[in-house]
Amino acid sequence: MEPAPHILVVDDDREIRDLLSRFLEKQGMRVTAARDAREARKLWPLGRYHLVVLDLMMPGEPGLDFARWLRSQSEVPIVILTAMGEETDRIVGLELGADDYVAKPFNPRELLARIRAVLRRANGEGPSKEPPAKVIRFAGWTLEPARRRLLNPDGAEVSLTGGEYELLQVLVERPNRVLTRDMLMDILRGRQAGPFDRAIDVAVSRLRRKLEDDGRNPTLIKTVRGGGYVLAATVERG
Amino acid sequence: MAEARRRTWLPATLGGRTAFWLVVALMAVQAAGLTIHALDRVDLQRWIHAREIAGRAFSAWRAAVLSPPDRREQMLADLDLPDAIQAEISRTPLVRQGGPPPPPEMIRLFRLDALSSGPPRLRPREVRLGPNRPGGGFQASLRLPDGEWLNLRVQMPPPRPWHSATFLAAFLVMTGAAILLILWAVRRLMRPVRLLAAAADRLGRDVNAPPLDEAGPSEVATAARAFNQMAERIRRFVADRTQMLAAIGHDLRTPITRLRLRAEFMDDDEQRRKMLADLDEMEQMISATMAFARDDAAAEPASPIDIAALCRTVVDEAADARPELAEKITYEGPERLTARARPVALKRALANLVSNALTYGGAARLRLSTGEGGMVRLEIEDDGPGIAEAEIERVFQPFQRLEESRNRETGGTGLGLTIARNILRAHGGDVVLRNRPGGGLTAVASLPG
Repeated sequence: MEPAPHILVVDDDREIRDLLSRFLEKQGMRVTAARDAREARKLWPLGRYHLVVLDLMMPGEPGLDFARWLRSQSEVPIVILTAMGEETDRIVGLELGADDYVAKPFNPRELLARIRAVLRRANGEGPSKEPPAKVIRFAGWTLEPARRRLLNPDGAEVSLTGGEYELLQVLVERPNRVLTRDMLMDILRGRQAGPFDRAIDVAVSRLRRKLEDDGRNPTLIKTVRGGGYVLAATVERG
Repeated sequence: MAEARRRTWLPATLGGRTAFWLVVALMAVQAAGLTIHALDRVDLQRWIHAREIAGRAFSAWRAAVLSPPDRREQMLADLDLPDAIQAEISRTPLVRQGGPPPPPEMIRLFRLDALSSGPPRLRPREVRLGPNRPGGGFQASLRLPDGEWLNLRVQMPPPRPWHSATFLAAFLVMTGAAILLILWAVRRLMRPVRLLAAAADRLGRDVNAPPLDEAGPSEVATAARAFNQMAERIRRFVADRTQMLAAIGHDLRTPITRLRLRAEFMDDDEQRRKMLADLDEMEQMISATMAFARDDAAAEPASPIDIAALCRTVVDEAADARPELAEKITYEGPERLTARARPVALKRALANLVSNALTYGGAARLRLSTGEGGMVRLEIEDDGPGIAEAEIERVFQPFQRLEESRNRETGGTGLGLTIARNILRAHGGDVVLRNRPGGGLTAVASLPG
């Protein structure tokens, strides 16, 4: 059993800070809380943190500036809390190198799921040691993680459901590697709180349709005998 | 009744009325002018007639004086006098001694007082004058040197004020030209009023419509400036309200987040589930209100998007959210259809329409096609009871919910359709609702391709 992950929570609302700390502690994590960016800077050298939960909307130093500073210090994973509808903050945050985001008012379980997923990736399961990619290209398609959008070969945006997006992201992060249903379930579970409980197969077939991949004779997301999928494409990150 | 009383025979438009009154005034002026002209003409005519008659009468007298007595009748006949003069030679005078004199006007007009002057050879031995009745004019009896009398009956011909071939044509051309000029001028004059009306109409649809041009005559410029100031005040008012709404939504995020966290510490699973569901609903209402208040659609840039994929996403997410209705949530249309749009806004619009269909109609069959003129056409059918025709536009008003929907605890903010319509209109399209003859409601959305 790994030691309990240590989380630094930076949020200006005392109640939320306390409640979130208690909630995460109940889930078996160690939590240190900071009121604002200044306090967080002071706390930073005092502990070894596995992940930072950062509210972007804080009085004093803006959250984005702190995130930039944090990135200059360390590769620590960051999950940002953004205001509902503040698209630009979210995009800038993710482009700065935040690993994931949750919109306020957030659902605690979704936040927990994101934290776990990010921690799992940070523990060497994914390629997140590399700097975050601005664009990922495969078979003519373009994925923009910061904007969470997919462009088809003609440059038109192809809308994806949350589940489809998560699945595609997992597949393009591990191209040409067979991922069993169980592995996919494990990686994806909770990343999208509710709807993704539906069978992986449904999500795959929907995704194939969006990617214009013939379901009976798929060339992009291939079915592997024995229950698994593989993205058969060269992936370019940039 | 009031309607009937207020009906008038005047033209309906301000321009029409102005033109009407101008034409009436013009007619009056024309009529007065013509009358003056006619009276003048009558005077002149009389004067000319009188001169001519006087001259001819004098010729008759000369002929009578200068010819021998037995040839006088013949000479008079040879003169070929006009109808207005009757001359005869008689032993007795026509005008009796001591009778009334002719009207002084006649004396002046015919210069009758000049009869007794002139060279003595031609001067009458005696002049008797009298009025000519009936018919106006005068009678004169002039005694010749041998004692016979020349009796003259002179009549004034009736005045003919309108007797001119070109008069009617000239009058018609003048009047016609004046009417055309009036119509043209009135149209020009009314242009600012029409522009103002159009601007007011635009402002009603879009608070951020461009301001009116403040050029032109000073009254027009003043009106335009006043209108623009009013528009500006309305804009500020709307902006203040919007900001207030956004601020409320913004501030509610913190308590909702706290409540969600608190709910995680509740022991009663059932209560916790319900509380979280309530909080979800609150969040949805706030996000809908904020989307409405901030008009996100206008801020998002448009880019090429695959509408077919967007429709599938909306349908799939709706089916995931309501698994019990999944079979009634379908998509029918092309595999791919690219158009320029604002993806987040358009998705919200479609999601609202689908959610509405599911909530009130228990089904959502989304159909995508391209219509005439390259328009993208989206139809969302449900199996609900439909909406009374009279209410069908009202449901697009913000915060308007039909009575049945309030009673049925269907939830919702009453903003879904408003937002959908705002978004589609911001795209240059629209959305309308139609009852289907066989039952059920169809939302028909259009989008420029």
